[in-house]
Amino acid sequence: MLSLQGVHKRFGDLEVLRGVDLDVARGEVVCILGPSGSGKSTLLRCVNLLEPPEEGAIFLEGQDICKGPGSGTGEQSWNLDFVRQRVGMVFQQFNLFPHKSVLENVTMAPRRVLGKSREEADGKAKALLERVGLGDKLSQYPERLSGGQQQRVAIARALAMDPHVMLFDEVTSALDPELVKEVLDVLRELASEGMTMLVVTHELGFAREVGDKVVFMDGGVIVEEGRPADVLDSPQQERTKKFLGLVLER
Amino acid sequence: MNEFFNQFFDFTVMGDHFDEVLDGFFRNLLVFALAGALALAWGLVLALLRQLPSKKFLPVRGITIAYIDVFRAIPILGVILLISGSIPYLEFIPKDIRIPHWFGQPDPYWYGVLALTLVYGAYMAEVYRAGIEAIPRGQIEAARSLGMSHGQAMRHVVVPQAVTKIPAPMLNELISLLKDTTLVGVIALGEALLIAREVQAETFNASAYVLGCAMFLVVCLPAARLVDYLIKRNQTKVARGSHIAV
Repeated sequence: MLSLQGVHKRFGDLEVLRGVDLDVARGEVVCILGPSGSGKSTLLRCVNLLEPPEEGAIFLEGQDICKGPGSGTGEQSWNLDFVRQRVGMVFQQFNLFPHKSVLENVTMAPRRVLGKSREEADGKAKALLERVGLGDKLSQYPERLSGGQQQRVAIARALAMDPHVMLFDEVTSALDPELVKEVLDVLRELASEGMTMLVVTHELGFAREVGDKVVFMDGGVIVEEGRPADVLDSPQQERTKKFLGLVLER
Repeated sequence: MNEFFNQFFDFTVMGDHFDEVLDGFFRNLLVFALAGALALAWGLVLALLRQLPSKKFLPVRGITIAYIDVFRAIPILGVILLISGSIPYLEFIPKDIRIPHWFGQPDPYWYGVLALTLVYGAYMAEVYRAGIEAIPRGQIEAARSLGMSHGQAMRHVVVPQAVTKIPAPMLNELISLLKDTTLVGVIALGEALLIAREVQAETFNASAYVLGCAMFLVVCLPAARLVDYLIKRNQTKVARGSHIAV
């Protein structure tokens, strides 16, 4: 489904990703852990080419998305269309469009990008918003919603494009503690329906319960990966032990 | 003392020439209306060209930035003189275009509109840019990650939000533009102050100038108050946090 091979990403002198290899099977939920600055978010942003990697290859459904006609830059539009119609992303800061209602947030891309009619887009958006428990907020504007509600709208917005893979970038980190569960519940449901998901998170409980695989990153490389129980309960690497120790101490 | 007062406020002079000066002021408003609309559009085009992404568009960005910098750095009068002093004599251009009399307006009107549009487009581009750059990066990223092109993201997500952040600076530029329409008098468009100048030359009395300026005052003062109001309203909004896209 998705395969990363030797992915490198630099910002000026700073090498954020230093050769990342990762395989994700269809329907698999991969949780990515690691300290801040370890390159987790950048990895996700490479997968949907918000940050095209400089070296390495990313295969999405068999297609190398880093190799366009210009090769290696990831700026070729056929690549971007291919990737972004298959990969949905949800951000830490929600990034809802504040000048649009909840319904319009969800319908904008299907209408503008896929050229769907208003009726078709509205119908689908309503069903999705219903599914994330916001069927009664269609005409509200984002600023009137709680963080948890906004994040659920953002998930519905990404799902409206029928993605094959969903990327979640610390989607609960900006939320008040009591709102985390409602968002994680949506993720759980998605996972149970067989969505392929890459989840950058600090929620170890969620990783253990929902993840098929846990990946621990540090310093721009994958330090350790495996089944959640193995990585979380009996980590092999010193860095992983230390990190998990610090997180669990809280 | 009375002589001094009369030099500026001779109501007989004002009354005798009120209609002519007002006619002139309407010409100012006419230049303002068209140049204002065109500059708003041209400025947005410039601002968007400046925001084009990726290395591919580096030359376009460079040229746009150079244009904006140059037109902000040269006197408007210079642009007006350059245009009116060159275009009419470029004989390879059809006469109807190099000496336009469209819609019953004389050629100085069109030279003035062109010059002010070119210059104020650059000013407006800077105002739009401030608005565009105030929109968090995450907005474009969200739009792009949903499959929208850069153009779609600008059109449907960034620009609609950006324009709500800049009415006050935009209005300031428009006030300046209205006042700068008087510069077109230099190339013999019969605007308020040029008419007033003819009156002054006849009467050796400055009251017509005062009258002309008063007409600008009547329009610009309320506009200036409106700017203050918009700024204040914007500040309370920001203070309440509704501007911050969390």
